[in-house]
Amino acid sequence: MATQVKVLYFGAAQQVAGKASEDFTAEDTASLCEQILERYPAMSRVTFRLALNRNLLKEESLLKENDIIAILPPFEGG
Amino acid sequence: MKNRYLVGGPITPLLISELMTLGNDDNGAGAVSIFIGKVRDDEVNGNRIKALDYSAYSEMAEKEADGIVKTVKAAFSDVRKVLLVHSTGMVKAGEASLFIMVTSGHRDHATRACRHTLEMVKERLPVWKKEIF
Repeated sequence: MATQVKVLYFGAAQQVAGKASEDFTAEDTASLCEQILERYPAMSRVTFRLALNRNLLKEESLLKENDIIAILPPFEGG
Repeated sequence: MKNRYLVGGPITPLLISELMTLGNDDNGAGAVSIFIGKVRDDEVNGNRIKALDYSAYSEMAEKEADGIVKTVKAAFSDVRKVLLVHSTGMVKAGEASLFIMVTSGHRDHATRACRHTLEMVKERLPVWKKEIF
């Protein structure tokens, strides 16, 4: 079932979205990514990984109410 | 969560001095290896970088930094302390944005663990930079 989740944008993804966060309604990360790409077509030019509740995701995942999904472009620390 | 690994603005010589004092209260440590990362004034398309504006996913960065320190300590048995600090916000060219200090009983683990910490920071710390010209 689709639930409300919070999406955080960082780095280049934040520049494309023009905001730091927003809410989406999605059942899983695959459908969430589809919605994000539909809303921001330019996001397809940003390479990114996802973190679910601060943990880097290695595969698609189901979403629960109030989950926090972060859109993480390649890290640039150091 | 209190920020233990992120600091706003540059890592100043005063902060470096304080961190070194903090990490040096151990007479069993015979080796101290330090890495300081600085902002370069690279030229990009004819424009010289004046500063880098760092942003971070703070909550995840704190968790990852904690994990990096634990991983390094587990991987290098002679290591006694690992200090790791990264800047957020504006850091001018020439200023420091990353400080790593590893103490160990002997030199081998201090130098190798310091390098290993640096590579893990590059790989795991959710930090981004924006070039300011």
